[in-house]
Amino acid sequence: MGTIMGQLALVIDLNTCVGCHACAVNCKEWNTQAEFGPLSDFDPYGEKPSGVWYNRIMTYEIGNYPHTQVLHLPKSCLHCQDPPCVPVCPTGATFKREKDGIVLVNYDDCIGCKLCSWNCPYGCREFDEADKVMKKCTLCIDRIYDEALPPEQRQPACVLTCPAKARFFGDIEDPESEAYKLIKERNGFILFPSADTKPANHYLPKVETKVEVDDNVLKPDNPIFLEVLSRHKGGNR
Amino acid sequence: MHPPISLILFFLTAGLSIGSFTGIFLIDLIKGLNSNVILITKLIATALIGLGAFSASFHLGHKMRAWKAIKRFNTSWLSREAVFSGIFGFLLFISFLIQLSYNTKAYIILDILAVITGWLSAFSTAMIYTSNRFVPDWNTSLNTLYFLNMYGFLGTSLASLILYLNGNVESTKIMLIIALSLFIVGLVIRVAYNVRRYIIKLPTLNDALNLPQNREVKVLDKGSTTDNYCTTEFYYKKGKKLLPSLLPPAYILTFAVPIMLLITCIAKGTNTSFLALSLMSATVGSFIERWCFFVEGRHVQNLYYGLL
Repeated sequence: MGTIMGQLALVIDLNTCVGCHACAVNCKEWNTQAEFGPLSDFDPYGEKPSGVWYNRIMTYEIGNYPHTQVLHLPKSCLHCQDPPCVPVCPTGATFKREKDGIVLVNYDDCIGCKLCSWNCPYGCREFDEADKVMKKCTLCIDRIYDEALPPEQRQPACVLTCPAKARFFGDIEDPESEAYKLIKERNGFILFPSADTKPANHYLPKVETKVEVDDNVLKPDNPIFLEVLSRHKGGNR
Repeated sequence: MHPPISLILFFLTAGLSIGSFTGIFLIDLIKGLNSNVILITKLIATALIGLGAFSASFHLGHKMRAWKAIKRFNTSWLSREAVFSGIFGFLLFISFLIQLSYNTKAYIILDILAVITGWLSAFSTAMIYTSNRFVPDWNTSLNTLYFLNMYGFLGTSLASLILYLNGNVESTKIMLIIALSLFIVGLVIRVAYNVRRYIIKLPTLNDALNLPQNREVKVLDKGSTTDNYCTTEFYYKKGKKLLPSLLPPAYILTFAVPIMLLITCIAKGTNTSFLALSLMSATVGSFIERWCFFVEGRHVQNLYYGLL
């Protein structure tokens, strides 16, 4: 691997992400019909649908009741700056581009040995049972360099679709980029730092919101409280 | 981890092949052997490594592209395994043909190279798993030692049977002592490996999410209603349930039965059925043991799904 000139990546604001899965759905839509597609689906309308997704959103609860917070975590390939999936690939199908740091899979060279996925601590690579190759997020490389698209459209599909504007895209090593500035100004962090893979994708931390509730509101003889209780029991709709 | 049967079969056939040829080669160096024994061993070892490569190909999505696995020799242990095992099989076959066709000892150079490449192949196989930092159970030199030792005891068990069937009683005894020592060392390494599994500190979901350790975190939603590649490849639910009932028979068949049979053979005299039974027990036991090895492997990506 030579010197990486830049490092394109996603920056995801966990404070804004509402976990709507629109990014995952639009990712699937774009990548199914674009140059890297299709992303296979099995039994899509049946009891046990399965298939390849570049992007999956998980939801976690942090803290103890009643002081809990919900955290939605969209997770796709993090385009690590020291990607463990690259050196283990026996054919060189998995590689990191010197130009922009994007980690890609050459489907024509992939033998489907799955070793790259075994060496990814984030679970961001998926085996396509139809094409028999490993697939992963390409940062929509077929969009971001497509000069046929207007400049504002040359962004990953997930970034363009996010209704909460929680996703940002850019060169995290360029001090002029929005992605770089967000990471610096809002303490952007990476997943699993002890894995020592230097992920390029960053997350902006969730800001804790504390709602102060007057103790009197929660008293059993509070008329508002009683009304809420009776509505829950279905007596006064 | 989900156990790939095709790879387990490769471990066994490669172990029997590399180990048996090495055993016979060494005995030939020390005591000298009838050329028929060496020829038979070469033929069996070549067939076994070929069978192993055929079996391993079923693990691949694209078998016809398997040759491309030689391209990343400088960084990939899988690539090295493919190259070394290929050279091992090729050298053995050529050596077999030369020994069969010409009255010359020139094949010995090929045999030496075959032994070296065979063990480099075994080491590469072990390192595919040992070098994986994200399955902490595998990420130990005990894993490499066990792989090499397993190849040793499987191979010497087969070599003992070949020697005995060809009437080399004295050489069989030497091979039996080597096999017995390897079984005992194997048992010690496997116990140490299992003890280590209970001692090692695994990373937590807090580590994976880069949150402070004092914050309680739990998975509310895995993002899909059904399993996906990551939850089936890295977490074998059925296997986890079967593991406690399969590990004891793996220990019994891999170590206890062969150790008892080999001690009996050394102390009271060898017989074909004991040697065959010992070989069969070690092979079947190792199949179950390697199955357990995969199921025991806990991948850190499972943290995101709350499965670790």
